[in-house]
Amino acid sequence: MTLQQCYENLGGNYQEVSSRLPSEKFIQKFVLKFLDDKTIELLQSSWEAENYEEAFRAAHTIKGMCQNLSFSLLQESSSQLTEALRGGVTPEAKELYPKVLADFEKTASAIKAYKEGL
Amino acid sequence: MEGKKRKQKILIVDDSEMNRSILVDMLGDDYDTIEVVNGLQAVNELQKNAADINLVMLDIVMPEMDGLEVLAVMNQRRWIESIPVIMISAETTSDRISQALEMGVTDFISRPFDAKIVQRRVVNTLLSSAKQAELESLVAEQMYEKEQNGLLMIDILSHIVEFRNGESGLHVIHVRRLTEVLLERLAVKNPAYGLNHENIALISEASALHDIGKIAIDEKILNKPGRLTQEEFQIMKTHSMVGAQMLGGLSVHQGEPLVQVAYEICRWHHERWDGRGYPDGLKGAEIPIAAQVVAMADVYDALTSERVYKAAFSHEQAIQMIIGGECGSFNPLLLECLQETADTLLELLNDKGREHAKPQKDLNNIVEKMSQHSELSASNRTLRLLEHERMKYSFFAAMSKEIQFEYTMSPAVVSLNAWGARNLGLDEIVMEPLEDPRVQAFFSHGLGEKIHDALYSTTPESPIVSFEGKMNCNGEMRWYRFVLQSLWTEDEPPELRGVIGKAVDIHSSRSYLENLERRASLDGLTGLLNLTSAQKQAEARLRENPADNYALAFFDCDFFKQANNTYGHLFGNNLLIHIAEKLQKTTRSGDIVSRVGGDEYVVFFQYHQELEPIIHRIHSALQGENFDGFTISLSMGVATTEQMGPDFTAMMQAADKALYAVKQAGRGQYKFYDGSETSLTDAKGASVYTNQSEIIEFE
Repeated sequence: MTLQQCYENLGGNYQEVSSRLPSEKFIQKFVLKFLDDKTIELLQSSWEAENYEEAFRAAHTIKGMCQNLSFSLLQESSSQLTEALRGGVTPEAKELYPKVLADFEKTASAIKAYKEGL
Repeated sequence: MEGKKRKQKILIVDDSEMNRSILVDMLGDDYDTIEVVNGLQAVNELQKNAADINLVMLDIVMPEMDGLEVLAVMNQRRWIESIPVIMISAETTSDRISQALEMGVTDFISRPFDAKIVQRRVVNTLLSSAKQAELESLVAEQMYEKEQNGLLMIDILSHIVEFRNGESGLHVIHVRRLTEVLLERLAVKNPAYGLNHENIALISEASALHDIGKIAIDEKILNKPGRLTQEEFQIMKTHSMVGAQMLGGLSVHQGEPLVQVAYEICRWHHERWDGRGYPDGLKGAEIPIAAQVVAMADVYDALTSERVYKAAFSHEQAIQMIIGGECGSFNPLLLECLQETADTLLELLNDKGREHAKPQKDLNNIVEKMSQHSELSASNRTLRLLEHERMKYSFFAAMSKEIQFEYTMSPAVVSLNAWGARNLGLDEIVMEPLEDPRVQAFFSHGLGEKIHDALYSTTPESPIVSFEGKMNCNGEMRWYRFVLQSLWTEDEPPELRGVIGKAVDIHSSRSYLENLERRASLDGLTGLLNLTSAQKQAEARLRENPADNYALAFFDCDFFKQANNTYGHLFGNNLLIHIAEKLQKTTRSGDIVSRVGGDEYVVFFQYHQELEPIIHRIHSALQGENFDGFTISLSMGVATTEQMGPDFTAMMQAADKALYAVKQAGRGQYKFYDGSETSLTDAKGASVYTNQSEIIEFE
C-alpha cells in the first residue's frame, strides 16, 4: 500500500500534505507516529470523568495534529467537537463525541493496515 | 571558529508531542531546540536561560499554564523585549489572536505547518531581533566608551590641572584642537596611518595629558621666569617620562586605548624626527604618530602664545620657525599638513572662543553609524557577525567588572548581571529589593538617599546621571562610580517607572589619584606644602577670618649656595630637610609651613599676643646652629595682616622686601616690614607663574 492510498483510506488529503512537508519520508514518519499518540485516550478518560475542560484541550490537540497531517475527516469532526466544548459541555458536543471516536478508529486502522504492508 | 559557532536556541512550547516533533524536524540541524509541554515549564526554562534563548515558539491552548499566561509573565519580566515569540497555535478565534499580538507576539504561524513558511518566519524573526540587539549594543558600546574616556580624563585633569596655572589649562585645550586639525589633514593625505573618526578623537582627547608629568617638577624650575640652567633643564626634561610612568600606574585602566595613546604622547612628545629629541632619542617613524602630531601642536601653541619671558609670535612667524627647523625637526609629511591647514590654524588662533567643545558631533557619529548598520542583508554570515558582536559585547561587559542592574518599580524587582550578583553576594533577581535587608545594607551611610536624589534629578529628556559615592561592601566602604539612566512611562505626564544603571569600583584608582593630588600639593624634597597649596590654604583662612591677625615670615638660608658648592648637593639637600624638620617642630600644627623653592621658606600663622617673641623663637631655633660644620644663618622678613590687610600676595611681597633689606644689612637677622625697604621684586620683575618647557629645548 502506498502512503497516498493510506490517505485515501483515512479520508485525508495527500496532495495538500505533500505540498507542505518536505518529503514522503517526513510525512510517513509522522503518520506512523500518530498511532503512538495518547491524546485520544486523554479525550476518552476526561470525557468519562466529565472533565470537559480537559476534554476541550484534548480535542483541540487532536484537531491540531490532523491539520498538520491533513487528516481531513478526523480534523473536521474534532474541530467541531472543540468548538462545541469551548464554553463547556453542550448537547452538540454529546452528539459529536461518538463521531470523533468513529473517525479516529477509521484513521487509526487505515494507518495500521499501511504499517503492516511496509 | 566556524564549526564551533553557537547555534541559535529555540524554545518550543506545545502540549502535543507530535506537533513539537514536526517543528523540530522542520527546523532541522540549523538550530538548537528545547521542548517543553506546557506554559509552566516554559516559564521555568526562561527563568533559567532567558539570556540564551533566541526565540520562543508558543502554543496557546495548553494544560497547567496556557500561552497567553506565558506571554503575561514574559511581559512582566520584560523578556518579551529581547526574546521574540512566534505563536504556533491551532487557535483560530480572532480575539485570542489579537490578544496575543497585543501582548507582543512577533509573528503567527497558523496550522497546518508548512515547512518552508516555518523556516522563513523563524529566520526573519531571529534576524530582526538580532538586528535590534546589535543596534542596542552598538549604542551601549559607544556610550560606554565615551563615558570611560570622558570620566577618566576628567578625573585625572581635574585633580592635576588645578595645581597648574591658567596658561597651561588653556594650552591643553589649544593643543587638543590643533592636534585634531592636523590629524584630520593627515588622514586625508596618507591613509596608511589608518586614521579615522574614532582614533582621531581618541588621540585628541589623550593630547590633553601630554604634560601631566610636570606635577613632579619643582615649582621653582617650572615657574622660573628666566632661562633655565643646564641642570634645571635636565630636571625639566624628566617630565615626559614621569608622565608616562604616572599613566603606567593607573592599574585599573591599563589596556584602555586612551591610556595607551596617552602613554605614547606623554613619553614621546619631545622626540624629534632627526632623533635629537628626548627622552629616548627615537628617530623618524619610530615615534608614534600620535606623539609626532601632539609635538607639533605643542610647539605651535607655545610659539603663538604670550609668555612672561617672551611675546607671542605671529601665526606666520610660528609656521616659518617650525618649517625652518628652529624648534627641532618634524616629519616632512606633517610639515605639509601644517602648511595646508595654516588657514584653519589661523582661524583657531583668532577665534577667542576656540575652547568650545563639540558634544553634538559624538551624537552625530552614533546616528551615522546606526544608519550604516540598518542595511543588513539576511545572510547567515551577517547573523554570524551579529552574534559575534553580541558575544564580544557581553564578554567585555563581563570583563569590565561592573555591577549592572535594572530596577522596575512595579513589580518591584531588581535584576543584576551575573558578575554583579556574585560580587555583592545577592541573587541575580531580587523581588521587593527595598524591603530586603541584604540590599538595604548596601544602601546604608547615605548612599540610598544619594541614589534617590540623583534619580529624581533626572527628566525624560535628560535621563542619565552619574556620581561617585561610597558603598558599604560587607563592612568595607569602597568608592564606586554610579551611572544611572531613569526609565519613564509614556504617559502624559511621564512617570518614573524604574532605572537601569551600573556601579564601577573606582576605589583603587581613586586612592591613586588622591595620592597624586597629595603629592602634587607637597614639596618633593621636604614634604612641606609647596607654594601653590600653601597660598590656597592661607587664602582660605583669610577669607574665613578676615579680621583676625595673621603673620607671614619669609626667609632663606644665608650662604646656602656656597654650602652647596663646598659640601656638595647631598649636603645641601640634607640641610634643606633639616631646616624643614626644625621648622615643623617650632611651629604649631595649625600653622602653614611651606618650602617656596630652593632655600626659601614661608611660615604663615595666626597670632593673638605679641608677635615679636614668636618670630624670635622661630628665627633663633635655627640661627647659629652648627649643621655638620656649617653654621646656619637665616635672613627673614615678616609682614602682617595688620599692615597689609587679608591679602596673601601683598603679604608675600612685603615680607620679600623686608627680607631683601635684611640681606642688604648683613644677613642673619629678621625684620618686620615697615614700608621703608627698597624692593627686590621690583628688581627681578613680577614673579608670576610661567611655564617654559614648551620652548626651552629649541634654544
